[in-house]
Amino acid sequence: MTAFEETLARMTTPEVPQLKHQALLADAISRGKSKSALSFWWMSIPLYVIAMLFMKSAYVRDSTLRSNLHEFFTRERYVAPLLFVVAPVILILINAASIRRIHFLSGSPGPATLLRIAWSNVAVIIVSATILIIYFL
Amino acid sequence: MSDTQLLERIKANPSEFSELFTLYYRPIFGYVLRRTGNFDDTADIAAETFYHAFTHIKSFSYRGIAIKVWLYRIATNEVNLYFRHRKRHASLVDRIDSGNRVQFEACLQDDRKELEEELQKHEEFLFVRKQMMSLPLRYQEVISLRYFEGKSNREIAEILDINEGTIKSLLSRGLGRLREKCDVPGANDAGRGAIR
Repeated sequence: MTAFEETLARMTTPEVPQLKHQALLADAISRGKSKSALSFWWMSIPLYVIAMLFMKSAYVRDSTLRSNLHEFFTRERYVAPLLFVVAPVILILINAASIRRIHFLSGSPGPATLLRIAWSNVAVIIVSATILIIYFL
Repeated sequence: MSDTQLLERIKANPSEFSELFTLYYRPIFGYVLRRTGNFDDTADIAAETFYHAFTHIKSFSYRGIAIKVWLYRIATNEVNLYFRHRKRHASLVDRIDSGNRVQFEACLQDDRKELEEELQKHEEFLFVRKQMMSLPLRYQEVISLRYFEGKSNREIAEILDINEGTIKSLLSRGLGRLREKCDVPGANDAGRGAIR
């Protein structure tokens, strides 16, 4: 080892103490997780109902998806609004808040980059909006 | 707790990611600070490093490299981007939700003050770092990891993902060039006398 290397090895360097901002940053980043798994689970119920009624309209003569949906909404007066209105609205709000948080955390990127990062949240919002439209159609 | 166990816990519950902060935020922050010499840029780069780790933790499978090595690798890439393109990272404060922003800025201000004072205590280091900045990035990487972070050649090879022979050669050539820079008569800073 040369004298120069020895000097470098002996040299003191700045040390980082306990950082006060560390916990807040850790909390902000950890909360930036999308709730997509939970969202997909809640969406799967109305989607299953729609798929079931679609199959019914395909195989039962003189029935359409629209009439089957209308019949279901009339029959299930309390469950239908919960699955087709309340759940999608809540999912839209949760995912919109999640996209906003991701937008901040990822350093306010452009729309294309944000879409790449938060595609699952955007997908949940689109499907939820579709379920809402189907209910009110 | 092993890296594998920690990874499994984070994958199962993202809030466990704060454990990674507890273990590695300070070393990574220190590494970036000793490379850039600037508190604000360091804070932005360190935040970008951990955010990148958070968003890619599911695709990181434990294949012989430790999480710490992986974080050093990400941080090195971010620092290189910063030096190559002077890429502007989003400000750290802008990443924090408005609810916590005032408290966060106050904490950041305290950390900035403390670390800027700490930096000024190490004249010899500041002199060497200043001379090192004019070297190509490959030399800066190995010299800073070896002499600022105290890593062995094997650890540096893992972090930079190149073989140990190349590290030895880069270190040898880099040190030669750094010594020349430190010996140049014009480089007459306060730390020069101490380093010769």
